[in-house]
Amino acid sequence: MTERPDALEAARMATGTSPRLRPGRSSYLVGAMCILLCVIVLTPLVVSVLASVKSPGESAAVPPTYVPQTFSLESYQRLWEFQSGLMTYVGNSLGVAFLTIAFTVALTVPAGYALARFPLPGKELLFVFLLLALIIPYQALLTPIFLIFAQIGLTNSLVGLAIIHTAIQMPFSLYIMRNSFEAVPRELEEAAVVDGGNTWQVLVRIFLPAVVPALVTVALFAFVMSWNEFLGALVMMNRDSSYTLPVILALSRTQTSLGGTDWGMLQAGVSIAILPCIAIYLLLQRYYVSGFLSGAVK
Amino acid sequence: MYSSRRSKLIGFLYLAPALLFVLAFTAYPFGQMVWMSLHDWSLLEPPRFIGVDNFDRALNDRQFWGSLTFTLKYTLLITPILIVGGYLVALLTAPNTPLRRFTRGVVFVPVVIGLGASSLLWYWLFSPRNGLVNQALSDIGAIETPVLWLGVDADISMWAVIASVVWKVLGFGMILFVAAMQAIPSEVGEAATVDGAGYWQRVTRITLPLTLRTILLVTLFSVIGSLLAFDQFFIMTAGQPHNATATSVFYVYLNSFPFLRLGYGAALSLILAAIILLFTVVQVMLTRRSYA
Amino acid sequence: MRTHARFPGVAIAAALVLAACGGPGASPSAEESAAESEPAASASAQGGNGEADPMVMWERTGGNAPMVDALVAAWNDANPDRPIELTYVQHDQMVPNLARAIASGDVPDLMGLDLIYGPEFASLGHLEDITDYFEGDSTLDTASPGHIEVATWDDRLYGVPLYADVSVLFWNKDLFEAAGLDPETPPESLQDIHDMAAAITELGDGTYGYYLPGNCAGCNIFTFAPMIWASDADSKIEPSFPGEEAMVGDIKPVLEWARMMHAEGLIDPAAQAETGETFAEVFGSGNVGIMGTGNFNVALLQDQNPDLDLGVTVLPGLEAGTSASFAGGDIVTVPKGSERVEDAVDFMKFILSDEVQLEVYAQELNMTTRTDLLDNEYFNANEDVLDTAQAIPIARTPYTLKFFELINSPNGPWLQMLQRVYYTDDDLDEVIADAKEEMERIINE
Repeated sequence: MTERPDALEAARMATGTSPRLRPGRSSYLVGAMCILLCVIVLTPLVVSVLASVKSPGESAAVPPTYVPQTFSLESYQRLWEFQSGLMTYVGNSLGVAFLTIAFTVALTVPAGYALARFPLPGKELLFVFLLLALIIPYQALLTPIFLIFAQIGLTNSLVGLAIIHTAIQMPFSLYIMRNSFEAVPRELEEAAVVDGGNTWQVLVRIFLPAVVPALVTVALFAFVMSWNEFLGALVMMNRDSSYTLPVILALSRTQTSLGGTDWGMLQAGVSIAILPCIAIYLLLQRYYVSGFLSGAVK
Repeated sequence: MYSSRRSKLIGFLYLAPALLFVLAFTAYPFGQMVWMSLHDWSLLEPPRFIGVDNFDRALNDRQFWGSLTFTLKYTLLITPILIVGGYLVALLTAPNTPLRRFTRGVVFVPVVIGLGASSLLWYWLFSPRNGLVNQALSDIGAIETPVLWLGVDADISMWAVIASVVWKVLGFGMILFVAAMQAIPSEVGEAATVDGAGYWQRVTRITLPLTLRTILLVTLFSVIGSLLAFDQFFIMTAGQPHNATATSVFYVYLNSFPFLRLGYGAALSLILAAIILLFTVVQVMLTRRSYA
Repeated sequence: MRTHARFPGVAIAAALVLAACGGPGASPSAEESAAESEPAASASAQGGNGEADPMVMWERTGGNAPMVDALVAAWNDANPDRPIELTYVQHDQMVPNLARAIASGDVPDLMGLDLIYGPEFASLGHLEDITDYFEGDSTLDTASPGHIEVATWDDRLYGVPLYADVSVLFWNKDLFEAAGLDPETPPESLQDIHDMAAAITELGDGTYGYYLPGNCAGCNIFTFAPMIWASDADSKIEPSFPGEEAMVGDIKPVLEWARMMHAEGLIDPAAQAETGETFAEVFGSGNVGIMGTGNFNVALLQDQNPDLDLGVTVLPGLEAGTSASFAGGDIVTVPKGSERVEDAVDFMKFILSDEVQLEVYAQELNMTTRTDLLDNEYFNANEDVLDTAQAIPIARTPYTLKFFELINSPNGPWLQMLQRVYYTDDDLDEVIADAKEEMERIINE
């Protein structure tokens, strides 16, 4: 996505209205539509976060209030103390997510290199693999995996869940990495080879720096997927101390303790679940979008 | 420069970790699943080999076909909304002015949060007495009694879920469309304008054809994603009422977990995968034809 | 060649090592599972606290969590050397979770189970036989009969009561007065409920005379089924074993009554969406005149709405003077293959002991699971709780091998039938016949 700093140029470039030909009225309309769109999209997020800072009485109130009349962090307090404590669950989620990133990177960097730069029949295999992985619902694979893991002691472990998440992300990650390796100009590689490097050195010195953006993208998507995934976590973890955040959030609805769903606490949980995702997006916007594009449009 | 054979071997070694990983954690469980589909497997009793009985049962299973119908209905309804909606928003935000770039960024935000978190958020918003949707509708006088959005009426539930998913996913199509639109050389649009073409004429005659490939791609992703829908229904309706909002994958889940009919669930997965494969092949073929 | 191969080789080796160890130090759960399978190595689990040897206990969500938390806390105080690590499992995941645990051999040490699953699990051999441990133990003699019955299979005992719920009928004395009814006279028959509910609904303004949840199978078996039992003492909804009949008895009149209650608008339309998640706070909202609910609602009401003037009576049937109740709650069992059977049994004896019955159960106004201790200072000080105790002698627990599929499942024939009764005009004979057929199909599967 190239960006042209000249606003006029940019306006012309797209197939939208050229302000020079029809100034004034239509650009106000466009502006209004944009703002309206932003409001519509952001409202659910904003009210959710606002709901999490209402006092418990207010968050249970019927009829509900749009904007908090009270301010209280008690919902977060209750979430913090819920069963094994929020720290445990968030810790587990983070642990699994980082392990997923580690596994994914460790596996797909050499694999991408191999598929892009070596004469393997990998292209066809990769395509078939991607397709199969895309159409088979992974939910049905969970129980066979659980039984396998049980035999090797990987249930209730962050590593086990990370392996599953890595497997789920594998097609997309492989695809991105391979494309990225492929895009590295041959001249660079040939120059390094001429300098007398072996494949490992070529990989590390030439390719790795070149594919860092793709790596970031892959890591990013792996994180988001792992952080949010819940059925696999539900199946693999049957000890409270191993639960991840999505599991606890889903659980907290039915764990009514006879008092009805704790909406405030639920929204606090939702806020905590979406916060890292939004933060990562804001910080790494460039990689996020480029990952989408290279993964999809190519 | 290496000899071809040596090159192949080295390449294979680099591929090996990922290959082993996939074999161990994807291919093997898949094989296991295929094996299970030929059994009556409840986990609590020893598995019993029953050959293709599971598949036979699926053909006559009203609930399975019902779920498939519902999934298709959901897909057919949500896909146009996502494509058309995404495209329109892309048209609106494609130019690189600050406001439009900002809007683009905002519309993309729901895409980055998890589907589970999003579903919980909307589950709360659609709650009959504690949710803000009913509150807002009642405040503007559109409704008198609270609408029971989720779990009571299959169609209303479906639309509620569609609303939440469209909110979450629209930005995905939008971004891809914007990229495709921005790839169109500006001279084309300018030439058309000089020739007197109006805005919508430019859109239909220039933009649409030149972004067709992306449209078809986004459609393909949307369709596959919708056919495999699970999380949103699991959290928002749990298949209610009476499994009328149970998608195909949800039914697979029901069999593989609460019902403890793992063999049957495995068989259903395979059937479902075959159906989706068919869809995909048809769609890709249609795509190819549009270029011919 | 060596140098090229190094990285992939190292990667493979690292991956295998990581997989084999389950990630040393990667998670606290690694230590927990180590502790479970090797009591000798458990010192690491508590980080230097001596020889603490935790037991893992599963318990379902949607039950009386505060009660269970209190019991576990009491045990942990008294037994710091063998604390219980309580894990809540989503109630509809309980069965598949346990199935996977059994299949993989990684079972929890003890387990709180919705009592209605007792027969199914015991019959399949998934629970440890604890009969011998209670030989000569008198505390069981007076334990809740409903619980003990479902915990018994083939004359052997597989569990003891964890906590007890009974269903009762609440009435809002304030609303009664406002509607011109005598606040001290409860309804004694289904007709009474209808008439009184009609008077209360007249008050308008979001007030309704009665309440029946439309999307909660468990709530209905708990608070509506007893009306069927009260109307025909020989009636039986659930088939217990394969080959048995379902929907036995004169059930139709009670269904007609329920349909009429809905048709006449005596029930809040929003009840149709009630999945059970907000069921326990409905009465406390003060908008419902009469409602079937459980004894737990007494304590809850004191928190939610202490000013509400509450009346408690038994759930009636068609005829005045008939009544019944559902004895629900959880039993605590030991899964087959547990390595802490004796410790688990100690926990069972602990919760059946006089002190815990009085100081933990009764003090929190929860039912004691021993009927001989119903007469205690805490209950005697609270009229409402005493009234709920009336339901215990008449309480029944369904006994079947397929309770979830038949009754509790949101997609099962029980809820399906009720929803047709409440919200459609489908012919009742047909509705009953369809439910009967489906139930019999399920039990015979």
